[in-house]
Amino acid sequence: MTVDNTSVGSGGTRVGDPGLGGSNSIDAIREDDILDAPPTGAVPTAPRGRKVDSVWKLYFRKPGTIAFLIVLAVVAIASFIGPYFAGNPVATVNPTLLPPSFEFPMGTDQLGRDYLPRVLLGGQVSLLVGFTVALLCMTLGLIIGGLAGFYGGLADAFLVKVAEFFQVLPGIVLALVAAALFGANIWVIVIILSVTMWPAVARIVRAEALRISQLGYVESARAAGFHSTRILWSDVIPNAMPPVIVATTMTVGRAILIESALAFLGIGDAEQPSWGALLNSAQSYMATGWWLALFPGLCIFLVVLAINMLGDSLNDSLNPSIGKVK
Amino acid sequence: MKAAFLHYGKLLLSSFILFIAVITVLFFLLEIAPGDPVQALLGDSPVSDEFRAQIVASFGLDKSVWERYFIYLGNTLTGNLGLSFGSSMTVAELIMSRIGNTLALALPAFVISTAGGIFLGAIAARTRSKALDGAISGTSVAFFSLPNFWLGLILIMIFSIWLGWLPTQGKSPYGQDGIALQYLILPVITMATTELAYKARIMRSSMIEALGQDFIDTARSKGLSRDRVMWRHALPNALLPMITVSGYSLGFALAGSVVVERVFGWPGMGLLLYDAVQRSNNQVVLGVVIVITISILIINFLTDVVYGLVDPRVRAKFARSSRSAS
Repeated sequence: MTVDNTSVGSGGTRVGDPGLGGSNSIDAIREDDILDAPPTGAVPTAPRGRKVDSVWKLYFRKPGTIAFLIVLAVVAIASFIGPYFAGNPVATVNPTLLPPSFEFPMGTDQLGRDYLPRVLLGGQVSLLVGFTVALLCMTLGLIIGGLAGFYGGLADAFLVKVAEFFQVLPGIVLALVAAALFGANIWVIVIILSVTMWPAVARIVRAEALRISQLGYVESARAAGFHSTRILWSDVIPNAMPPVIVATTMTVGRAILIESALAFLGIGDAEQPSWGALLNSAQSYMATGWWLALFPGLCIFLVVLAINMLGDSLNDSLNPSIGKVK
Repeated sequence: MKAAFLHYGKLLLSSFILFIAVITVLFFLLEIAPGDPVQALLGDSPVSDEFRAQIVASFGLDKSVWERYFIYLGNTLTGNLGLSFGSSMTVAELIMSRIGNTLALALPAFVISTAGGIFLGAIAARTRSKALDGAISGTSVAFFSLPNFWLGLILIMIFSIWLGWLPTQGKSPYGQDGIALQYLILPVITMATTELAYKARIMRSSMIEALGQDFIDTARSKGLSRDRVMWRHALPNALLPMITVSGYSLGFALAGSVVVERVFGWPGMGLLLYDAVQRSNNQVVLGVVIVITISILIINFLTDVVYGLVDPRVRAKFARSSRSAS
């Protein structure tokens, strides 16, 4: 329903920054693909193996990459292993609303519970939701976007219609409806976020599949008599992966933000509060317990920032031309 | 001209079909939701079977699913969104009393974020100073990664609780009607900030792309100054994708207002939705969602119209096709 001919995803989601789906100079990400790729006489690009190396080298040489990977790793390890060491998250044995100290690095909450293990446990929910949603979106996006870009036809029409539909009924709104009608738990939220967010990834897969299916090596694979299904899964999709990985990375961040917003609105698992849910209860104690609102929000911010920075710099490594030229 | 009418006619038709699709999905979600609305209305006290049958009939619940679907569809299309549970107002009246307050947040936030995003994005793309570009780009990624409800909480903590400059909740002092300016400041900032960061990101890459085009080199080699080329040649081209991005993001801002309104106790449509979700007041939930859907459809349609008016390529396409038709 749009006239836009830009490469900006049509606003349905915010994953598709301009340039994401654009031309990138590398064509492969898994070196072993080279072995089962069709004869490469007509390949218009340089030998692929070396270029792959240089992109990942470029990526890991960027100063921020390692730092943000470490941030993510630390938060993930702390969330999933930390609770075993950090003390009891439910024991209400301490004085209430103690500010952060050596004994309680994040203070205690309104019921006298140690806040640090609660924040760590909250991370489990947020990270789990973020990564599960992103993986589901990537899977759906690869299948439907790949079919749409490679074959066009029904899959293409389906993708366009579904993308338009969820642009009008955004994930957060649909999740609110589901919560009112069914009482949403964490898996309902995962499903709703995946169902509403996959078109963004699929759109990028589609654009890449469309571009790649015009390239020389796909043509020579066809000429060599390979079945089109095989060409799609062993030539087109693997070569479309780099921008898809960028989009998937961004989806993790978006999903964590939406999940925490929903939890902040009181929609989620009451048994295991996520960061958003902790912020929800912190709202009543802003004058007396600033740390209750500070730490969970800081965690969301750090994780999403690290993810977005990793995605951004991967995108830059894939498209050196997007960097400034003039 | 005829081609343009045809084009926008098609667009309107597809918007209408999307709207019907959303209503259909909502109706059947309501249909499969657990719980018996009649029992909820009657409460726990025992009633005679005749009385129950009378209630069932008065709500049309004895009709078949399809009959009820078409009645619901007809009612929605004529603006009848039903009665609010536990309130003397109809759902439509309830929403109309709130929608102005939501717009009072969303429109200033839209103007600030669009103007600021365009300005900062253009500066970041244009500047030769790596530090300035880095500062703008880095800040925009950071704000883009910020959960905006947490930003709202932090702003309340700093400006309302610690400094005491601004009120924490509501839209005007107790007992007064209308909207007081000092109540508007924090929610508008909260709503505008992430939007602004997002738009600055898009604007920067759009501007860099525009500056890389051949006509920029042509203009420069004609001897035009760097500034003139920047503002007269590059900027208009870079703004085209911004029309789509900011138009579509306004619709999403309406959907996202539920979070900001909850943080600031702002009595808009979002808070109405939140309260309705908390109380499982399904008629109101669906009503607000339908109004959000209509708003997004209208905004997206207007965005496409504006885009068509502004982009000379779209205008030329219409002119061409009408010439060839006549």
